[in-house]
Amino acid sequence: MTAAPDLGLSVAADARAATGAPGPRRRTGPKVGAAVKYVLLTLGALLMVLPFADMFVGALRGPADVFATPPRYFPADPQWGVYGRVFDELPMGRWILNSVLVTTTITLVQLVTSAMAGWALARYEFPGRANVFRLVVGAQMFPFFLLIIPIFFLLRYAPLAGGNDLMGQGGSGLLGTYAALVLPFAVTWYGVFLMRQFFTTIPEELLEAARLDGASEWLIFRRIALPLVKPALATLAVFAFVYHWNEFIWTMTITRTAPELQTLPVGIFLLENTFNDLDQKSLQQAALAVSVLPVLILFALAQRFFVSASVETGVK
Amino acid sequence: MAGRALGRPGGNAPYWFLAPLFAFTGLFLVLPLGFSVYLAFTRWNPLGEPRWVGTRQFEYLLTRDDTFWATLSNTFVFAGALVVIGVPLALGLAFVFSRARGKAAWRAIYYLPQITSFVAIAYIWQFVLDDRYGLANRLLGLLGFRGFDWLTDPTMAMVSIVMVMVWYDVGKNMVVFSAAIENVSKDLYEAAELDGASAWIQFSRITVPIIRPAVVFVTVTSFISGMGFFALILAMTGGGPRGATEVTALYLYEMAFQDLRMGRASAGALILFAIIAVLTVLQFRLLRERKA
Repeated sequence: MTAAPDLGLSVAADARAATGAPGPRRRTGPKVGAAVKYVLLTLGALLMVLPFADMFVGALRGPADVFATPPRYFPADPQWGVYGRVFDELPMGRWILNSVLVTTTITLVQLVTSAMAGWALARYEFPGRANVFRLVVGAQMFPFFLLIIPIFFLLRYAPLAGGNDLMGQGGSGLLGTYAALVLPFAVTWYGVFLMRQFFTTIPEELLEAARLDGASEWLIFRRIALPLVKPALATLAVFAFVYHWNEFIWTMTITRTAPELQTLPVGIFLLENTFNDLDQKSLQQAALAVSVLPVLILFALAQRFFVSASVETGVK
Repeated sequence: MAGRALGRPGGNAPYWFLAPLFAFTGLFLVLPLGFSVYLAFTRWNPLGEPRWVGTRQFEYLLTRDDTFWATLSNTFVFAGALVVIGVPLALGLAFVFSRARGKAAWRAIYYLPQITSFVAIAYIWQFVLDDRYGLANRLLGLLGFRGFDWLTDPTMAMVSIVMVMVWYDVGKNMVVFSAAIENVSKDLYEAAELDGASAWIQFSRITVPIIRPAVVFVTVTSFISGMGFFALILAMTGGGPRGATEVTALYLYEMAFQDLRMGRASAGALILFAIIAVLTVLQFRLLRERKA
């Protein structure tokens, strides 16, 4: 990334511009010197990556590094064993299991509910359709902080669950169950909106042909429409998975007194006091590194779906 | 689009397809909202029964609770700074990014924080911003600066929180902006170059006006989500030091789940929601009108 090749490109582009000849493709804006451009991007990229690197370096520090005067930044003797200790000394297996279980369930449920509702809104004429669409758009406006208290107590007073009677009294309701972690997120109005947008693009002829063959509406949805919107399903799945893998306010509120239900971020957060000693910091950093890893891999494999999820949110 | 007839009747089928949406929206949106409004007019410690107190909770919060007002001011500072610093930064970055090679790689790097939990982000930054031996102050030290009390000084703590949040959001906003920039006709830039327009002129006179809808959208959504946000703050500073980063949503969360004042917290949530709703409408009006 030196200035020299850029100079060449700029001159060529200037020449094209001057002669009015259309350039075959315009990758570089001649007036933004490429050097400046890449220096800016690189500096920004460093800022993005350094905090993560700091975590990985910190995880490898041993007591000798931490208690040295002054404390050493780069560990003299990297303690790779810390990643084993994370699993020995913390209920890491349990947290990972819970995270996988809860996140996968929510993602699957959201795919089903979003696809079904999106399909109905996209392809059917029925009384009240415009109002349902308004509901889907409007529901996205209500912030989480407004719902957290009432939903907590609706679960607490769920009839006939967790020792409750028909009036929701006497027991703990759905608190302390996986259902409390999943049910409030069973529907995502954003997901419905997203799926609707994609279903509207399917040509009507495809569906009409199936109808003439006597296919039921469910069969048309399941066998013809769904396979055609796989990219949308993937986008929604990735979006939901990452969001709920990382979600922590709700899960913490529900599982503060139920350690067996805690997910990775919640477990690490609530064990804060365990990490207070200086020589426990590396353990905390290693645990964080482990918690970040699964989504990092997913991200590496499915980057384009992450991007489309962001863009779809931004373009509506 | 919403109202255009696209499909066919299909009998009862659409209602079956919508049944899960209706069921869960009723249970986890409509019912909770109603319950929340009811609670706002009660005093309720969940060990006992809710007691109807009329508008007393609203009166208390608005006229006697100085902390509530202090947290509102923190909330405005936080959400305002996110927009004022975050949006132009993401816009500029998207402009540079859209003209660079290796887009996938750059995007992946800038997108990294987005896939990380706020717990991890809070701790990662706590380490970076730690006293004398955190990465930030070590690097400043190398350059000959004294460094900052990033998280222990009240003013700096808010600066740090905003900085981390901008860091978190910049990649996502950049992706949204660059998608909009991709749609700007290349001919416009060609023509501008013929006239000798600099990159800055192209950016400010072509790019920004054309992608204005995306800018308005990101500005308003950043502000809305900023006003109700507290996950990072809870994990990173817990609202401290001395309440300097205590935003209203965090204050209300603690009021409910630590002090068990469900009625008052519900009333506070309604007030905050009303403020956000009014400001959202105002922002859309203002930002759209400036165009005309």
